[in-house]
Amino acid sequence: MKATINVDHVARIEGHGDIHVVIEEGQVKTVEMAVVEPVRLFESMVRGRSFTEVSYIASRICGICSASHVVTDLLAIERIFGIEVSDRTNALRELLLYGSYLQNHGTHLFVLAAPDFLGQKSVFPVEQIDPALFDSALALKSLGNELCTKVGGRSIHPITAVVGGFTHEMSADEYRAFADRMDGMRPFAIATVDLFNSFAIPDIQSTGDMLAMYDPDKYAICDSRIAKFAGAGTEFDADDFDGNIEEYAVEHSGALFARARWTKSNYMTSALARINVSWDNLCKDAKVAAAKAGLRPPERNPFRNNVAQAVELVDALERCAELCRRLANDEFEGSSVPEPYEVRAGRGVGFTEAPRGTLFHELDLDDDGRVVRASIVTPTAQNVANLESDMRQLAELLVAQGADEAEIRLEIEKLVRAYDPCLSCSVH
Amino acid sequence: MCAWQMITDTNSRPPRVVVVGLASCFGCQLQITNAEAHLTEILGQIDLRYWQLVTSEDMPDEFDVAIIEGAVTTREAEETVRKVRERAAHVMAIGACAVTGGVPGMASNELASRAKEVYADSLPDASGEIIEPRPVSDVIEVDSEVRCCPIDPYDFVAHLQRALFGSNRVDETRTMCADCKRNETECFFSKGELCLGLVTRAACGARCVNLGRPCNGCAGLSPDANLNGARAACASYGVSVADFDKALEMFNQVALQK
Repeated sequence: MKATINVDHVARIEGHGDIHVVIEEGQVKTVEMAVVEPVRLFESMVRGRSFTEVSYIASRICGICSASHVVTDLLAIERIFGIEVSDRTNALRELLLYGSYLQNHGTHLFVLAAPDFLGQKSVFPVEQIDPALFDSALALKSLGNELCTKVGGRSIHPITAVVGGFTHEMSADEYRAFADRMDGMRPFAIATVDLFNSFAIPDIQSTGDMLAMYDPDKYAICDSRIAKFAGAGTEFDADDFDGNIEEYAVEHSGALFARARWTKSNYMTSALARINVSWDNLCKDAKVAAAKAGLRPPERNPFRNNVAQAVELVDALERCAELCRRLANDEFEGSSVPEPYEVRAGRGVGFTEAPRGTLFHELDLDDDGRVVRASIVTPTAQNVANLESDMRQLAELLVAQGADEAEIRLEIEKLVRAYDPCLSCSVH
Repeated sequence: MCAWQMITDTNSRPPRVVVVGLASCFGCQLQITNAEAHLTEILGQIDLRYWQLVTSEDMPDEFDVAIIEGAVTTREAEETVRKVRERAAHVMAIGACAVTGGVPGMASNELASRAKEVYADSLPDASGEIIEPRPVSDVIEVDSEVRCCPIDPYDFVAHLQRALFGSNRVDETRTMCADCKRNETECFFSKGELCLGLVTRAACGARCVNLGRPCNGCAGLSPDANLNGARAACASYGVSVADFDKALEMFNQVALQK
């Protein structure tokens, strides 16, 4: 077989990426995921800016991950200033991030990924084919948007989350109403796990490692400092992320690639990586749904990231309903009014699990709280090298199976989408 | 000119719309999908020909309305928007990046050294030929603009109606301060804190101020803005004038450099 597959601007992903695959005499010669997203140079933009503006600017790296960029920056700044936020503020941050999980996973699964498996070019025809699915999917996405709006002030680029706390909170009745809606949405999320589990996928096993935040007692997304490689079993403190992962440049990508510093191994970070690392701490319904779908560690097929996201929807709904009820009943210690603080110089690393995986922001501030140096390592930048290696494995499998060019092209596109890449984040 | 006015070949063909993304966070395109309850209603009025974010159809040669998100940051992007302009009856810029240069516009100052700072050796080939970030209206004529970072989904819907059917509504130019007076919210200046509502175009109903945060100016400078007056106001309230000028760069760097 001989084929050259070029896909300019892969559709239904966030950002601009091209696929380039060359097959000669049945051999897969070239496999490239070219990230052609325009550079915006955020690390240079925040330099010289006050700490009060940093999270507001960094939020613009990515619309859908904006809450993650904000919270990660705030964590970095608070470590420098030595601020301990209240339990209530931590709960609100978790709720804000989970709101973005609902948005992200809902959008990715239904608007971006599902059309492939339903034989459609977009989600819009689904309104005719399966109106109940279409309406429920939009309702789920809408619930995430409304949660972000009520906690953060708008559906993307949150306003209310600041250093030390929040500038605004919703009422107890509004929290309770959200909790009830989340409970009502859970059966659909469970059905979503079954739906994505029913889609046929190629049998490939990623050879890279997986990286996620780790806490032995919790499905942690923003309040642990420990990152863990699921395969190697090694852990590191977020402060030392630079000593454990390294970025490197390649000509065909505007995004820097990343690998584990010591093993030089590619790795994936994602919902699937989180499930591999934190499966023990999933909520009950999520664990049952995962078990029924056969999703349990070790799971190395990257296509299963879709099912992992669906499981996280169940988990997020269950967790957020409880958070909302406890916030309504004032069960968390302290208030969300911003803590007082004194500006001082120093280095701080913020670490969260964005919807697409581990996110690190490192900031050096001067005595006036202005940024001297910033480093931002996003989930997708960490994923592209691993994605390329999985694309090659998939292409080789399909060639061996005698697949035609159109099928190879579609399956590779589906793999790219399964990673849920955020190319605007990856280049920033 | 509105789209329907251009359609003379047949009355039954709905306006063909494309959505183009340049340098941005994709947030404004997401905001369009965030009008969930109205999404199918909106799409029912148009023939959506190209939207890379949500469908795998290829970019067509013919269309009536082009919606552009993002700042122009490369020669390739310049070329793209010029081509779009040749074909579209109506070009709509959405979001701060496309309207003022927005946050990407911050890099328009000392661009070359910034690139070196982030990519040690040289930019990868994949990044194209970078130029100082500019709003779309600096490259081509734009027919309508949806402001703010991000756009409000309903504001977008209102502008799309105007692009399709036309409107004789005039663009309002007042500064955001006027909205806070109407909302009767406490002014940040009275607490000695900086707020850019003094010079920013009213477009959002003072969303941030209503939630306890000062305006960052994402709607862009109002044509009525009096920058020197605002500086004097800062000084009289004990707010640093240097901080005011610095804060303005976040969404208005391109305008300030002119």
